[in-house]
Amino acid sequence: MKTSSITRLAILGTMSELHKQPISYDLDSLKKVVVDVSPDLLCAEITADAWEREDMSKASLEVRDALAPVIASTDIVLIPISPSLEQYADFKPDFGWRQRLVRTFDRLLRWGQIQADNVQAVNGMWFETFCHTVCWFNEALWTAEDRVAWEKQNEEMVSNIIHAVQRDAGRRLLVVVQCQRVHQLIPLLRAHDDLLKLVDYQEL
Amino acid sequence: MKVLSNITISIGGGRELDNAALSALAANLPGLRVVPLGSNPPPQVLVWDVRTDLEELPVVSRDTAILLLVEEAGLDSLPEAVTGLFSRDEPPAALGVAIRQVARGEQYLSPTFAIKILQNHRTKTSFDESQKSNFELLTNREREVFDLLAQGLSNKAIASRLYLSVRTVEGHLANIYSRLGVHSRTEAMLIAVKDK
Repeated sequence: MKTSSITRLAILGTMSELHKQPISYDLDSLKKVVVDVSPDLLCAEITADAWEREDMSKASLEVRDALAPVIASTDIVLIPISPSLEQYADFKPDFGWRQRLVRTFDRLLRWGQIQADNVQAVNGMWFETFCHTVCWFNEALWTAEDRVAWEKQNEEMVSNIIHAVQRDAGRRLLVVVQCQRVHQLIPLLRAHDDLLKLVDYQEL
Repeated sequence: MKVLSNITISIGGGRELDNAALSALAANLPGLRVVPLGSNPPPQVLVWDVRTDLEELPVVSRDTAILLLVEEAGLDSLPEAVTGLFSRDEPPAALGVAIRQVARGEQYLSPTFAIKILQNHRTKTSFDESQKSNFELLTNREREVFDLLAQGLSNKAIASRLYLSVRTVEGHLANIYSRLGVHSRTEAMLIAVKDK
């Protein structure tokens, strides 16, 4: 029985690949956190079409190798929230000095990720601040068109999350997305504090 | 972090090698813990591999739900403690969903069995007109849940199809049973099929 119609929502940033290159990341720790938190609903970065066709070919490593197996054997229901296939890496400039600078920031991000190769570290204060700063500089180097497209994609993701909250109010909802999105999604979700309460994933 | 405790299960009934394989599978499914049959406290769920008949099924604690692993749903009478029938044709990961469902006190029926049972009973069951009129009391969402129930889907499968939590689906099912005046999933499914 529901005790409150306010949904408790936590965001978990993940980083299992960078510009389509696999990097060291402990997917087992992601599985363990999801099983331990055991949310009612889990929003993940995959399109509804791909999820319903069980097509994992374009899904990120964390969805394909960690989240999907956990979903298959537990009561957690996955809500696909990606409006399109593009990920952070797809928005980089194609050429010129901007591209070279973005590559430099990518190397920095890769270095940071090597220091933070599991769920706890990626969602720790140090890496969140580092990732947010590097991503902010990176996004400033993108073309205006790409920035708009990236922001639109994040807004559509939040819209899909809000639909899930409205469809099934009062549940425990975990949003698992690329860590590069976290600082975009949080302010957008905070605007819906009449429907949801943002909490740390450890307090969900 | 609030960590939910593991569901304890015991495995029995099958050949030693089959039991060992099932135990290994269950131990690898998240949130489950395999304990010996007869352990204290008793397991929450006993997964019993039915090879021939149910004569060897042990008497279990009232707190233990039994999930039978069977070839086909041809068992004439089932002990009260049996609340789940799991087909050997289901994917291994579905075992985790079935165990969770019976552990919560719900019934579990593999979709292939559900359809066979419904086909067998379709012509035998009488349809109460008052139950038919009660369909109008169902909300749109309850009607959606009811239609998926008629297809033999498990609670998890219904929840996944409608992008709702399993708890919400269980809440809708409780409302549906109450409005239709039935007491079990099977009764509701029979009415649902008759409505088609």
